[in-house]
Amino acid sequence: MANIATQRIQREFSEVTKSDESQKNLISIELVNNSLSDLRGYISGPPDTPYEGGIFHLDIKIPETYPFNPPKVRFLTKIWHPNISSVTGAICLDILKDQWAAAMTIRTVLLSLQALLSGAEPDDPQDAVVAKQYKDSYEMFKLTAKHWTSVYAMTGFDKWRYPDFDYKIQRLMEIMKVDEDRARVALSSNNWDLEKATQSLLS
Amino acid sequence: MSRNVCDEGDDERDYGEEEDEEDDECFDYDYYNATDYDSELYECERNKDSEHFEYECLQIEQVERLLNESVESICSSIGINPSLAKVLLYTHKWDIDRIKEKHKRDSFQLLTDARIKSPRNSRTVDTANRASSYYIQCNICLQSSSAEKCASLSCGHQFCKECWCSHLEVQVTQGITIGIECMAQGCHILVPEDFALNILTKTSFREKYQQFAFAAYVKSHPELRYCPGTNCSVIIRAKENKSKRVICKHCKTSFCFKCGGDYHAPTNCETIKFWLTKCADDSETANYISAHTKDCPKCHICIEKNGGCNHMQCYSCKHDFCWMCLGDWKTHGSEYYECSRYKENPNIASESVHAQAREALKKYLFYYERWENHARSLRLEAQTLEQIKTRIHEKVMANKGTWIDWQYLLDAAALLAKCRYTLQYTYPYAYYMESGPRKQLFEYQQAQLEAEIENLSWKIEHAETTDRGDLENQMDIAEKRRATLLKDFLSS
Repeated sequence: MANIATQRIQREFSEVTKSDESQKNLISIELVNNSLSDLRGYISGPPDTPYEGGIFHLDIKIPETYPFNPPKVRFLTKIWHPNISSVTGAICLDILKDQWAAAMTIRTVLLSLQALLSGAEPDDPQDAVVAKQYKDSYEMFKLTAKHWTSVYAMTGFDKWRYPDFDYKIQRLMEIMKVDEDRARVALSSNNWDLEKATQSLLS
Repeated sequence: MSRNVCDEGDDERDYGEEEDEEDDECFDYDYYNATDYDSELYECERNKDSEHFEYECLQIEQVERLLNESVESICSSIGINPSLAKVLLYTHKWDIDRIKEKHKRDSFQLLTDARIKSPRNSRTVDTANRASSYYIQCNICLQSSSAEKCASLSCGHQFCKECWCSHLEVQVTQGITIGIECMAQGCHILVPEDFALNILTKTSFREKYQQFAFAAYVKSHPELRYCPGTNCSVIIRAKENKSKRVICKHCKTSFCFKCGGDYHAPTNCETIKFWLTKCADDSETANYISAHTKDCPKCHICIEKNGGCNHMQCYSCKHDFCWMCLGDWKTHGSEYYECSRYKENPNIASESVHAQAREALKKYLFYYERWENHARSLRLEAQTLEQIKTRIHEKVMANKGTWIDWQYLLDAAALLAKCRYTLQYTYPYAYYMESGPRKQLFEYQQAQLEAEIENLSWKIEHAETTDRGDLENQMDIAEKRRATLLKDFLSS
């Protein structure tokens, strides 16, 4: 890694650790394999959103040309959000692309991602299926996103349960002999319509 | 397997015989880009020609001169340096009058709009850091440097020159030049050329910067367009940004000035884009249907189409038929020729969704098949032209006639290609047309054009038995039909 990138990451690491947000357990980062080019970020789901109570893991790769090029960030935790791919975790956010500025830091990136969870931009979607649901049936979107948060981003016993969803997932797993994740994706993508989800798995 | 009879007896063809005189250059006659032919024969009709378009082919130096004139004009009238003038021109699409007018009205607004100066409310950023000390901490590398080793744009965001240099190098590597912004978060002030060239020290990056910046200027200029030909550096200049045909004088590529794609009259840029995307998506479905072979409708022998003409004669039973509709060719006389017209099912609205989908596919395939078929005919007729050239060459070498004696055949082939090319592009146009009297008129004219083109193609392929006067007459009719259709439907 270039000298400047190393220095920047070291400094940014302590910036995040010492920040107010980190003290309140809202964001944090750690090293992966003791390499400064490979970080793991964590953000908590903002209150009053379907992501509340969840901890989302992020894969952060620092390029050789950092900070003149943005870090490569994607969600490791599965998430149901119009600007984040429900399959790969890829993020559609301007500051991670052409609106990146060399003066930005990992901390600003984590805070921007948290802001993205608070306010989605369905007109600039990464996941077209989610974005369509967000625009067409917002209540269904909220329930689905909350369900995904409780399944993938929460640990412990305070998980939110929605028996209707759990039942349909079980049914679809039995009918189509697919695993739980595939059944969940199929149902989520079809507004929890069991028949349509079955058809989508068939085609 | 039988062959299209149009190709039969090639070797027997006799194109005439007379003195020996050869003109090799004429063998390089450009088949697809018959402008010379155009201007000679139809000079008098130029003003009426709906395809006529004024443009010039420029070299890089000429364009540089042209751009510099604009830059100087702005420098002298507004009183800023050339680099900032370039930013202004780039952000205002080289509209000098608009820049001058905005300058008169509110010069500060002009500079903020062009991202040369920060807006009023955010102008005081970082001034504390800048003014207070000799040493400045660069926010990027976090090192302190003396003030002369730092630099800032008009926004006042100070960074060390090394970081600036890295920033510029990364951007230039990605092909960005004029659009490079300040490194501060949320600051969109643009880096002007003189600042960039001052910071960039490596020759390779300076050259790249200048090269890419020039390309960006050309692309932002509404009157200029790069020739899309491979490795061609010519830049076309036209006063009007219209979807008209341009032929590069250097590499002979023919393209639409507005969209840069293949010329597509009478269809417009948006429609042809839809059509080509649709074809790219659906071509797998369509391909097997428009296969290269069909059975003779009379004796059912398998026929391979290896000539461009759609008037087929079965090699085996001598039945004359139309390749497109497989109907008897006799019914394709000029007035009743309508195999170019798609007949929509009038009761479709009351049919089921499934039937409607099938009908939609049927309709698309109808047009796609014809589009593809004419494209293929164009390629096959290009081969016919090669054969004609070879034959002429042989004849001339054997002292049978002069080049001048067969010039008309090459002219005919060039005209055929031109007409068929237009005909091909009438199909996407018709596909997207609303039903109604205008579509009826269009399809009538299209059918007329197609009938005459097939006649011409037939006569060219049977040149040895066709009278020269007859052929030239046919050429005239075909071109008139083409011009009429374009005149009525090519919107400018």
